[in-house]
Amino acid sequence: MNRLTRAGSLYFLPASLVFLLFYYWPLVMNGFVSFFSWNMISPRMRFVGFANYQAILQSSEFQKVLVNTVLFIVFLLVFDFLLPYFFSFVLSHVLHHGQMTYRVLLFLPSLLSLAVTSIIFLWIYNPVAGPLSEILGWFGLASPRWFKTPYYVLLAISTIVGWKFFGYNLIYLLAAMVSVPKEMIEAAELENASKWTILKDIIVPRTSPAAMYVFVLTIVFALQYVMVPVNMLTQGGPDQHSANLSYVIYQYAFVFFQAGRSAAFAVLTILLFVLFLLWRGKVAEKGVYYEN
Amino acid sequence: MKTDRPELFFHLLTIALILVSLWPVVFMLSASFKDLSQVFASPLNPFPYPPTLDNYLDVLGRFNVFRFVGNTFFIAFFVTLFKLATSILAGFAFVYYRFKGREWLFNSMLLTFFIPTTVLIMPNYLFLSKLGLLNTPYGVILPEIVDGMGIFLMRQAMRGIPKPLFETAALEGAGAMTVLRRLCLPLVRSPLIAAGIMFFINSWNEYFWPLLVLKDKSQYTLSLAMQMFISAEGGSEWGIAMAVAVVTSLPPLLLYLFFQRFILDSFMQAGLKG
Repeated sequence: MNRLTRAGSLYFLPASLVFLLFYYWPLVMNGFVSFFSWNMISPRMRFVGFANYQAILQSSEFQKVLVNTVLFIVFLLVFDFLLPYFFSFVLSHVLHHGQMTYRVLLFLPSLLSLAVTSIIFLWIYNPVAGPLSEILGWFGLASPRWFKTPYYVLLAISTIVGWKFFGYNLIYLLAAMVSVPKEMIEAAELENASKWTILKDIIVPRTSPAAMYVFVLTIVFALQYVMVPVNMLTQGGPDQHSANLSYVIYQYAFVFFQAGRSAAFAVLTILLFVLFLLWRGKVAEKGVYYEN
Repeated sequence: MKTDRPELFFHLLTIALILVSLWPVVFMLSASFKDLSQVFASPLNPFPYPPTLDNYLDVLGRFNVFRFVGNTFFIAFFVTLFKLATSILAGFAFVYYRFKGREWLFNSMLLTFFIPTTVLIMPNYLFLSKLGLLNTPYGVILPEIVDGMGIFLMRQAMRGIPKPLFETAALEGAGAMTVLRRLCLPLVRSPLIAAGIMFFINSWNEYFWPLLVLKDKSQYTLSLAMQMFISAEGGSEWGIAMAVAVVTSLPPLLLYLFFQRFILDSFMQAGLKG
């Protein structure tokens, strides 16, 4: 197919060009801007060396933001990784019927936008007259002011993002669960293996590539999608208690007009993310079962 | 197959989960048909008594909803169209051209799916302002006309087509574009439609990037317009906000209603190969 080769390189062009301009060039730009003090508007950029990085690493804000970032990730791994993992196993290997209907209904929330979801949950969490405060009232509990209280705010926002992406991840994991050969499981059942043994010895190793994929994706989601409810409902507050790394990148550029600081935050985020991917690569080599 | 007792427990558990996860949707629908006093008086009652259309009429009267719908549709339509085009071309090329660095190029494209997009927004914003595309729908569309996952899916789908079919076509002197259009596209129709539906829904639902690019209210998408109702803290217009939320959610929900099997199956297949 040699004569097609020249035309072939042309077919890569549109995608390559856009990826280069809007995905890879910005990474370089961040590196460049992070060495300057600049308000994004003025034509003058002042070179400051590593001052932006120094300021970030020495600030107490950075610690707070890191803690928030990690907590968001932990909460979302519970809502969007462990929970769908468990239920995809239940749907595929514990229940014998109803799977089709259940998955259709469980995927449905994933169709709503995060903006819509944020508004619905703002009302659900309303401490004065919202539905949740009414339910808590039955047990004689007073509703906390969810979006105004440190740590509660992280949980409340995690449930918003968690609720929206649960269905996506469930479907991915379900696909992997269903593809485990039925004969293997039937053979194990004949030998009176418990559901737990089947899960541990057959399902977990066989679904590990899909699980790894959903695991990484959940962390990416936890980094970037919490920005929507955070921006709509709290703007990072109270006192930066709901700001994660992504949100401060946005905030420093578009709210505080400190582009250099924003870029430095972006570079640090990318570095942390690359470290994580490398670590994941190591883990994957050891523990993941790949079928050839 | 009979349902034994532990299985019954898991059925109930799953149904409980479904109720929890559908409740906010039901809640949004019912609140949009309630007047304000009902919203506050009985937040847990899903049935409006009597149901009222006032919220929807209010939205129609006070805001140019059709403008927002039109803006959102314009962006979602062209994002979907371009994403499909770039994904088809690149996916096709990855399957049928061999060259040094092919895997490397493919991985560098797929990797973009995992880059947290927040690290890109400031440089992209500056770039678009240089191009003079801020505050236009084209500014929203331009950085979004490619999709790492779309390229991955198209490559997967075209890989499944038997090689001899192509070799025969090539021997008969068919050019690449002819092979792609006559042979490939008809064979990958379902994954293509499924990817298109997902692209459309995702773009329709997008919030952050349009928020940065579009400043003028007349350019707003539905998701941005919705924010106008909650800007007042503890906002008092819940019924109206929910009505806008319903209007915003309607197209994705309708698409799902008609294509659910199809969307879920393609989605599951995609996941399987990933």
